[in-house]
Amino acid sequence: MTRTPRLTSDTAACCWIPLFALRSELARRPELASLPVALLSPDDTRRLWQVAPLARRAGVKPGMTVSQAIGLCPALKLCEPDPVHYDERFSQLVAALGTVSPVVEPVELGRAFVGTDGLEGLYGGPEEIVEAIQMRSAECGVWNAEYQGKRREANDPSVKFRTPHSEFRIGWGRGKFVAWVAATRAKPGEVVLVPVGGEAKFLSSQRLAVLPLDPDTHRRLRQLGIKTLGALVALPEEAVVSQFGRAGRRLWRLAAALESEPVVGRIVPEPIVATLSFFTPVGERDLLAHALDKLVDRAIADPRRSGWRVQVVRLRAELEHGASWLVTATLKDPSATRERIAAPLKTQLERSPPAGAVERLVVEFTAFVPGTAELQLFARDAGAAARAGRRRALQSAAREIALRIRRPMLYHVIEVQPWSRLPERRYALIDFEP
Amino acid sequence: MRNGADRLRALNAPQRVQVELDEQRRPRVVKREAGNEKRVESFGENWRMDDEWWRQPIVRRYVEVVLEGGGRVVLFEDLITGEWFVQMPT
Repeated sequence: MTRTPRLTSDTAACCWIPLFALRSELARRPELASLPVALLSPDDTRRLWQVAPLARRAGVKPGMTVSQAIGLCPALKLCEPDPVHYDERFSQLVAALGTVSPVVEPVELGRAFVGTDGLEGLYGGPEEIVEAIQMRSAECGVWNAEYQGKRREANDPSVKFRTPHSEFRIGWGRGKFVAWVAATRAKPGEVVLVPVGGEAKFLSSQRLAVLPLDPDTHRRLRQLGIKTLGALVALPEEAVVSQFGRAGRRLWRLAAALESEPVVGRIVPEPIVATLSFFTPVGERDLLAHALDKLVDRAIADPRRSGWRVQVVRLRAELEHGASWLVTATLKDPSATRERIAAPLKTQLERSPPAGAVERLVVEFTAFVPGTAELQLFARDAGAAARAGRRRALQSAAREIALRIRRPMLYHVIEVQPWSRLPERRYALIDFEP
Repeated sequence: MRNGADRLRALNAPQRVQVELDEQRRPRVVKREAGNEKRVESFGENWRMDDEWWRQPIVRRYVEVVLEGGGRVVLFEDLITGEWFVQMPT
């Protein structure tokens, strides 16, 4: 099998929604929007992960323990994280971006790069391309991105325009770094465009923190009095290299806009087809179900499927005397496991079987969504994915219990002051709300 | 929707009880509510705790006891108010 080359693009639009997980939670539970809210960390529920601006104003910060946070903000509303939900929302967003450009590179939850090379013929200049991105992301329903075509020119070297009431920020420029920095400069709902050739001028005034620095390098550079990328570039490249080694060279070249990383997209696989021809026409359902399992296995094993979960699957049968039979299933939860893909087809096979004996059986995977491990911030490893799955199962059980007994009966034990000499201050209960 | 302050409830919060003392000022009978009283069968450790003297002082005298029926609990006397409380042992 020949592998299609990966798609790349030099110009990039960085689409960024800060605090993606928290905003996903607020979109699902709008009653929380006016409260000081914090999400607990998926890995350590004693600590906060993302904090809403209202809570930040009270001094609450990500990484704080629950007891510190409650001490600073007694009205703080704590939410259990739901990583799988956030991942699904992000998948929707990435799928919407994929309708604008075939080159989409998700980086982390809430941040993805869209390659924009060659889109001029479809949409026009960069302004029109990012408008298309905003429009599609608003249409996908993930964000309350009220699209508005009005633009506002701002000072060069970057050009800004605004779509109000949206948290969606877009930066456009040559290379991922410039696009990312532009996105960080954009206000909510705004777009910052960095014209090709204007990168160095744009970057020179940016704060040092936009560079991918470790805390020690950041501290050393600050001690040297370097606060902006322009100040860093003003130093001789070799001097930076002698101080910070290879990493220093990369930082200097990024700051000087001499290094530009392209967006690397992935190609959605073409439909994957697995076929089985029977020597003699088959009418027994058990045999057909068995053949279906084998075909699904074969289609899953196709290398093109790797990294993708199946969303739509079709089962076709060519019958005796030239008739045919077809069922299609759309999986609510896209999957890459045989049981979950085959289950809806088997149900249909039972309910409305083919009208005659089957000569040829065909399984087709016709739509895909990116694989979980590729997208999830949390599920980069199997352990985290399993934890997220267990949490989801627990939440489902909790919902069931709440429905039956109509009052909260499940609690989560959190450490408040485990070191306290007063036993009642060590731990507390919070309602477990799915 | 409730907020963090009223959603958080202390685990192992002390519950007020009535206590009859013997001549050595040790608990003899513990009454949680009317008609539910238990004799103290044996004593374990006892200790005193002074804390938070810099704001609202907390001064307690703790006694670990086994009640009739075998329940092991911790009783403490708030030495500022004179009230008695029961808590689960930790």
